[in-house]
Amino acid sequence: MAEAALIQLKDLTKTYTRGGETLRVLDQLALTMERGGFYALMGPSGSGKTTRLNLIGGIDRADHGEIRIGGIDLAHLNNAELARWRAASVGFVFQGFNLMPVLTALENVELQLLLTDLTRAQRREHASYALELVGLADRMHHKPGQLSGGQEKRVAIARAIVTDPTLILADEPTGDLDRKSAQAVLELLTKLNRELGKTILMVTHDPAAAEVARTIVHLDKGRLGRIETRSPAGAGG
Amino acid sequence: MPPFRLVWKNLLRHRTRALLTAASLAVAIFLLCVLRSLLVVLESGIKASASNRLIVQSSVSLFVYLPESYEAKLERIEGVERVVRWNWFGGYYQEPKNFFAQFATDVEDLFEVYPEIELVEGSQEDFFGDRRACVIGSEMARKFNMRVGDTMPVIGGLFPRTDGQPWDFRIAGIYHSVKPNVDNNTLFFHADFLQKALESGAANGPEGVGIFVLRLEPGADRVRVAETVDALFAGGPQRTQTTTEAEFQAQFVSMVGNVPFFVGSIGGGVLIAILLATLNTMLMAAREQTRDIGVLKALGFRDGTVFGLMLGQSMLLTGVGGMGGLLIALSSERFFAQLLGTAFPGYHIAAETVVEAVIATLLIGVLAGIVPALRARKLSVLTALRSVG
Repeated sequence: MAEAALIQLKDLTKTYTRGGETLRVLDQLALTMERGGFYALMGPSGSGKTTRLNLIGGIDRADHGEIRIGGIDLAHLNNAELARWRAASVGFVFQGFNLMPVLTALENVELQLLLTDLTRAQRREHASYALELVGLADRMHHKPGQLSGGQEKRVAIARAIVTDPTLILADEPTGDLDRKSAQAVLELLTKLNRELGKTILMVTHDPAAAEVARTIVHLDKGRLGRIETRSPAGAGG
Repeated sequence: MPPFRLVWKNLLRHRTRALLTAASLAVAIFLLCVLRSLLVVLESGIKASASNRLIVQSSVSLFVYLPESYEAKLERIEGVERVVRWNWFGGYYQEPKNFFAQFATDVEDLFEVYPEIELVEGSQEDFFGDRRACVIGSEMARKFNMRVGDTMPVIGGLFPRTDGQPWDFRIAGIYHSVKPNVDNNTLFFHADFLQKALESGAANGPEGVGIFVLRLEPGADRVRVAETVDALFAGGPQRTQTTTEAEFQAQFVSMVGNVPFFVGSIGGGVLIAILLATLNTMLMAAREQTRDIGVLKALGFRDGTVFGLMLGQSMLLTGVGGMGGLLIALSSERFFAQLLGTAFPGYHIAAETVVEAVIATLLIGVLAGIVPALRARKLSVLTALRSVG
C-alpha cells in the first residue's frame, strides 16, 4: 500500500473550562488519516474542528486518548521535543494571517528555516523557492502590510511548506479572503497535495472549499459524524 | 539564540518609542557618569593621601590660626622629620570668578614633603631665591596662559594690601602634581613674604599659621605622634587636632555636606526612574508581540528562544541608550573639566566609572527585560495565538 496511516487518533477527549462551565469539545474521538491524503474537517462552530487541528499539530494536549503521527505518540514528548517535532514535521497555515509584520515575505518564510542547520544563503534559496512556488516571486521583499489578504495567505503557505513537512495543517485558509483569492489558495493546496504528496488537513466552514479535499470529515459536538470520500477532482472543479 | 534580525526589527516596530526610551537612557547614563566622576574627584584626594604626613590644625576650626611658635615645638617631637607651614591666602586673579587656591608656605620644605609636586618649567633655585616668586600649577598656567617670568597679580581676599594694590607674584616655575591630592590649579609662594608684609603693615590679615604639615620619619608611629602633638598643646594657647592627610581631605569633602550621599541619591533616583520607563516600554512591546510569540512557538521555536527574543530586545534597547550616554560623557569630558575648573580639579571619566556605567546599563537591560521575557516563556501557544493585537 502506498498510503499508510499517518495520523491515528484513539479515544481522544478534550475539555475546556470557561466561566466556570466545562465544555467537552472532543469526546472519545477515533480516526485514522492516510499519508498523502487531503482532508477537510467540517462542522458548526464549537464542534471541535480547530481543537482537533491543534492537538494533531502538537500545540495543545489532549485530556485523554492517543495521538500518533507517523508512529510518534505526541503524549510522550515533552514541550521541547514537541517544539522540535513541530518544526520538522508540521507546516501551519493559521486562521489569521499570523505573519511577522516587521519582516518581509522572504524573511517570514525564512523564519521557519532558522530552526534548521542551513546556512544563510541556503535559507534564502529555500525561502525564495517556496515563494516562487506560491507565485509570489515578485513580492518577496514586501512586508505583510504591503500585501493583499490572498498574498499574505500564500506567504503563510510558503512558510508552511518551506521545511518540506510531512503534514500541512490549515485552519480556515480561505476564511478572510475574497472569492478569487480563496480559489487561488485552494488551487495551491491541491497542487501541494497532488504534485508534492503533502498530507493536508484543512478546517473549513465553506462547503465550496471542502470540495477540493478527497475526504470530508464532519464533526458535531465533539463527536465524529459523516465521512465523505470523494473522487480526486480539480480544485473547485 | 534568538534571531538577531527579529530582535532588531521588533525593537524598531515603534521607532519613536524606541528612540525616546534609548535617548532617556542615554541621558541617565550620561548623568550617572558625570555625577560619579564628581565623586571620584572628591575621593581621589583622600585615596592619594600620603601615609607619612600628618596635618595639625586648631581643634576649634580650620579657620582658627595656630601660633607661629608651634613650629619649633613640632620639630622637636620624636618621629617628626619635617614641618611645613600652610596658610590659606584666599585671593583671586583680576576678578572674583577667577578664584583658585593660593598658599603661603615654606617653599623649600614643600618640595621635600610633597615629592608628588614636580617642577616642569622654571627652577627651584629661582623660586627659593626670590621672596616675590611663586610657582603655579600646570592647569592654571594653561587656563590663564601664564609662562615662567610673567607677573601674576593676585588680589588678596584674606590678606588685602593696605595700599589697595594686588599682590604681584613673579612666576618662577610651573609644577605638575602626579597625584590628585595636590591639584594643578594652585599657587604656592613664600610664607616669609606674607609674614614680612604683615609685620611691616603693608598688608592686613590674621596672624599665625593655618595648618602645619608634618612629614614623619620612616617607621614612625602615626597614632603616637598625633597623640603626642595634641597632648603637647592641650594646655593652649590653641589646642590642636592632628589627623592623617586622608582624614584631613575627608573633612574637606564633608564640609560641603554629605556629597557622596547626595550625588548617590540623585544617581540612584535617575536609574530607578529610567528602569521603570524601560520596563514600561518592554511590557508594551511584549503585549504587542504576544501573537508573534504564539506563532514562533507554534512554528517550533523553543521557550528559551522566545525568552531570549524578549530579553534581547531589552538588552539591545538599553545597550544602544547606555552606550550613547557613555559616549556623550566621554566626548564631553574635556568640556566639563574646563567648566568645573577649580571646583572639581582633575575631573575625568575614570575607567571604573565606565565599568559602572556598563554594569548599570546591563542591569537595567536585564531588569526591564526579565519580566516580559519570563511571561513570553510561560505563555502557551494557544493563549498567545488567541490574543488580540
